[in-house]
Amino acid sequence: MTLAFTVPPPNSSFLGRLDPRWKLAALVCFAAVAATLHTLRVAAVALAAALLLALLARLPPRWFLQRLGTAALFFLLFVLPLPWLLDGNGPSWTWGPLHLSRRGIESALLLTAKAITLVTLFLTAQATAPLEATLKAAHALRIPALLVQLGLLSYRYVFVFAEELRRLRIALRVRGYRNRARWHSYRTAGHLAGTLLVRGCERAERVAQAMRCRGFDGQFRALNTFATHPVDVVAFVLITASAAALAVWDWLPRLLG
Amino acid sequence: MIAVSADLAIQVRDLTFAYPDGASALVGVSFDVLAGESVGLVGPNGAGKTSLFLCLAGVLKPRATLFQVGGLDPRDPAQRRRLPTQVGIVFQNSDDQIFSATVFDDVAFGPLNLELPADEVRKRVAEALERVGLTGMEERVPFHLSGGEKRRVALAGVLAMRPSILLLDEPSMYLDPRGRRELIQLLHTLGGTRMIASHDLELILQTCDRVLLLDRGQLMADGPARTVLADATLMEAHGLEVPYSLRGNSIA
Repeated sequence: MTLAFTVPPPNSSFLGRLDPRWKLAALVCFAAVAATLHTLRVAAVALAAALLLALLARLPPRWFLQRLGTAALFFLLFVLPLPWLLDGNGPSWTWGPLHLSRRGIESALLLTAKAITLVTLFLTAQATAPLEATLKAAHALRIPALLVQLGLLSYRYVFVFAEELRRLRIALRVRGYRNRARWHSYRTAGHLAGTLLVRGCERAERVAQAMRCRGFDGQFRALNTFATHPVDVVAFVLITASAAALAVWDWLPRLLG
Repeated sequence: MIAVSADLAIQVRDLTFAYPDGASALVGVSFDVLAGESVGLVGPNGAGKTSLFLCLAGVLKPRATLFQVGGLDPRDPAQRRRLPTQVGIVFQNSDDQIFSATVFDDVAFGPLNLELPADEVRKRVAEALERVGLTGMEERVPFHLSGGEKRRVALAGVLAMRPSILLLDEPSMYLDPRGRRELIQLLHTLGGTRMIASHDLELILQTCDRVLLLDRGQLMADGPARTVLADATLMEAHGLEVPYSLRGNSIA
């Protein structure tokens, strides 16, 4: 099992005790608003609110920062070039071939704030309920059953897949294979990927057979173990009201101006 | 017209199955299994043991002159849909069979597909987990289970359907000696009609009274376990060996 798949320990925080349906609905509303913000100031407040939620959720700092760092590797690829490539009417600075614009810097900061907000909300949801509970909550919120089932099966088999990859890598190493920038390594990586795909395909067939043998007819069914308490509704209203306030703050000047 | 007997859990006549690529898996297989009987299925790799089980469970669709399993004909689509309540199959690799995110969800999968009330589902899950000795592990996730525990969860998932016929494909595979010993004890407590396919002939000897020997898709022998498995000529001719505990009284 690799570190990337390590789930945080059971969470007994305030957010961890909320009904997963209300929590998921509230976090999705907040994320949807955060993703559509236009002004840096409002995005910074949204980020602060997301970090406050993460704090309330008592996310293990190391676990949180490691995952945020991994996500940052992807979004920084898109964000870092913006100050140098995006030009506008505002101030800009030129040093030889390098051109830096204020609009570019603001756009980069806005995107960064929004990305960190979304990753923080996602990690908060992940850390405060087991994934299967979150997916079942999604099913209860009328997310298509096919997507929920795909999510559950992917979550179940990603570990089996990782274990298979680990065994294949060991098999390569004990036969003297080392990753180097040469044709043989690229071919081997291709064969490895092919082997995993073929095995995955065969396994999918066997899993489908096992499901049919236990009466599966294509319809996803789960026991509803959720229960709404007043605190769930209060938390939902607070989070969605905050999201609505941010949306109004962000859009109102545009609508009025 | 061939009569269908109520005392027979399984009736198979001239069962033939070929995979889409044309490879023959089963050729003219005929046998009966009495209700409550425990039958071992042995044979070399590629003999057709798993294919036969998949046919009995309604996954593969063979041709046969008579085919009834637990009073149902797996070839008939309407009866095939009812087959999971009569036939439970435990697959070779438990990871293929435990597809839910928690032990509870996995054992509840079958009863939920039967659209049973929630209380009945919970009752069946508790009962099945108790029978395999896994009470208290409901919230465990499959990747944290040992090989023996996974095998038990797979068996619990099948038992929760309350089938009258159990098909176990290589049940001792991936188990350490302790896990294997526990499995044999567990099999003795299960009752009902059982078919066990395995290369572990000692396990077959300890759990089955009768043995079917399959090779290249054909039924080569059918008889008492101690007689068939002790026949050195027969066993060697089909890529098998007389189990160690029978070597002192080998027939050939």
